[in-house]
Amino acid sequence: MEKVVIIKYGELSTKSDNINFFLKTLKNNVEAKLKEISHEIKYDRGRMIVYTNDTEKALVKIKDVFGIHEICIGYKYQDKTLEGIKENVYKQIKDLSFNTFKVVTKRSDKNFPGKSMEISADIGGYLLSRLEGKKVILHDADLTIHVEIRINEVLIYFDGEKGLGGYPVSTLGKGLLMLSGGIDSPVAGYLAIKRGVRIEAIYFDSPPHTSPMALKKVEDLARILARYNGEVKLHVINFTKIQEEIIKNIPNFYLITIMRRMMYQISALLASNINAHIIINGESIGQVASQTLKSMQVINEAIKMPVIRPVCTYDKLEIIDLAKKIGTYETSIEPYEDCCTIFVPDHPVIHPDLKIVYEYESLVDFKTLMFEAIKNRKIIRIKEKEENVYEDLL
Amino acid sequence: MIYLDYSATTPVALEVLDTMTRTTKEFIGNANSLNGLGIKSKELLNSAIKQIAELFSVLESELTFTSSSTESNNMALIGVAMAMFKKGKHIIVSKLEHPSIYAICDYLTSIGFEINYVNNNEEGLIDFDHLKSLIRPDTILVSICAVNSEMGIRQPLKMIRQIIKKENPMTQFHSDMTQGIGKMALSLHDVDLASISSHKIYGPKGIALLYKSSMVNIKPLIYGSGKSNDLKPGTPALPLIVGFSKALRLALDDLEKKEKYISLLNERICKKVNSIEGVLINKTKYSIPHILNLSLMNIKPETFIHAMDNEGIYISTNTACSSGDLSSAVMAVYNDLTRATHTIRISISSQTTTEEITRFIEAFEKNYQTLNSLVAKE
Repeated sequence: MEKVVIIKYGELSTKSDNINFFLKTLKNNVEAKLKEISHEIKYDRGRMIVYTNDTEKALVKIKDVFGIHEICIGYKYQDKTLEGIKENVYKQIKDLSFNTFKVVTKRSDKNFPGKSMEISADIGGYLLSRLEGKKVILHDADLTIHVEIRINEVLIYFDGEKGLGGYPVSTLGKGLLMLSGGIDSPVAGYLAIKRGVRIEAIYFDSPPHTSPMALKKVEDLARILARYNGEVKLHVINFTKIQEEIIKNIPNFYLITIMRRMMYQISALLASNINAHIIINGESIGQVASQTLKSMQVINEAIKMPVIRPVCTYDKLEIIDLAKKIGTYETSIEPYEDCCTIFVPDHPVIHPDLKIVYEYESLVDFKTLMFEAIKNRKIIRIKEKEENVYEDLL
Repeated sequence: MIYLDYSATTPVALEVLDTMTRTTKEFIGNANSLNGLGIKSKELLNSAIKQIAELFSVLESELTFTSSSTESNNMALIGVAMAMFKKGKHIIVSKLEHPSIYAICDYLTSIGFEINYVNNNEEGLIDFDHLKSLIRPDTILVSICAVNSEMGIRQPLKMIRQIIKKENPMTQFHSDMTQGIGKMALSLHDVDLASISSHKIYGPKGIALLYKSSMVNIKPLIYGSGKSNDLKPGTPALPLIVGFSKALRLALDDLEKKEKYISLLNERICKKVNSIEGVLINKTKYSIPHILNLSLMNIKPETFIHAMDNEGIYISTNTACSSGDLSSAVMAVYNDLTRATHTIRISISSQTTTEEITRFIEAFEKNYQTLNSLVAKE
């Protein structure tokens, strides 16, 4: 007997035309997760099976992969005789605690004699004869025993753990996440990744107005997202000059509106540059002055690229709950200011006027500054596991 | 020199010392400073804390550094008492605790708390029925050490926790793990609060930690600048913390292998001294092999210790922290005053060699005979 991990697919089983592309991508994503564990993956349209010596560790890793409905530990046997199967099922369940059970058989090997239902009934009858006080029921049984008869092996497994759902990452293409150090944007990123978007991230750094710890915090957040996304490319834009020009030249109640428009434009330019189709951010309707509907309209007007706002209809508490679940909350609440929270005027405009915006924007040659900022950006590749620079000390 | 007092303290491991020297020289910034050097120190501090959190599978925010296990014990017991006195003033401790626990209990008694001492059976194990009967609706805390420092008796913390929480889910469970860490696998998830010290695991002296589950609220003992939930404000002792973190990583390696080896050495001594008249081995089936307690019924233990000193062999009377008194653990297990006032403690490490044990046994027999014959003449 060998243990294996069995992966059942989520929503992607509805994609009939390009299912192979989805499955291939899922396989690649699982493989990337299991880089440190020796393994082999086989899959068909029904499920994916991971053969490995360390099923427990593999299971934990695979839990972070999107596009999975359920993950189970399975027991693989070579013995394909009906008698052998019965005995092996009995061995697997005799020490489990349950009162009611049912057997579900699947024959991938269509040459195996008998119908699946008959085999289930046969195995069930055998188990009843060997176990005391157990009953078979077909709905809501305590234990569902899955028996899958395959060409070269028989798999026995039980209901497993729920997967994260969603689509395999990168099946839907690439998006650029506007990542700040706050609570909302990492959650927005997570939700986009869940729908199969592979993300890269952009962060606006404003030294010396912002602390290096603020950047470190963003790197930490990106690292948490890398668990789900795979390596996250973090584009760090030096925003100091643009921000200082805005502060020097533009009346302060329009400062946030113009600043956000600049960020949008830089993000859109960079997104096309890296072949991303969309921009993702953590805006939530009404949360701050720049997120009133009117503000969003005026800010969004700066670019043509679609902007996806996964948390825009969530309450703050709902976002916090998700952030805690993903594991970004603790990092997000570290007290380092990013460039959006410095220089905030007391009364920013909440109904900005586009005509006034145009007028103010013409006061400075922002185009040149923006191109410069993109050209001089720093790219940090963030892997799931932090390279510990202090390893030799610890 | 033959050092057999590892339960009192351990020599600092050379690689730990190296880490501390380098940290002291290269990381001069205050981890609370905002400047570049401060940030560098803070990053190292965070890495060190993260490593400890990962070793124990707990949250980084659940760890507080203190100066010693005694301080951790104070922080835990007084901290819980001050946070929960409105719910109750009843605390239970065992009869096998480190003296610092009893000193804290005396203080708490003086300000109106009520302390009960739970019995143990003849093997030294906590009497579960007695514990159950002691827990009341106003019991706020139970403190029971993971391993007793005198006889090395190990307590089943998980089971004790289950008993406590079943009787009163509000009661917090603290364990002084100082003598257990690095000697056997311990889970912090079996307790709500735990004290752990660095100098018992080949780390520096002057640094220890308190684990406090995020579900537990305690009142700080000291106040200073910093975050409001900070139990120990002040500049972090970076070189000590980094050294501690490294020592812990090394100490938790190969626990089983080390224990097996130490068992062999322990057995060798027991076999020899078992046949000597007037020597009693204070050991139950729950004693860990790292600590060997003997009663020399006819000899003053202190005299014997000094005789061994003269040969360059270092052992101790019951514990370094309570020399001169009676061994409360031996008393609690055997209820024999002579036996409890005549104890010596030999503590063995995985660094101890078989050669050292051989020489120890020779010196033991020689000194015992000399001193015993003197006593007989009187």
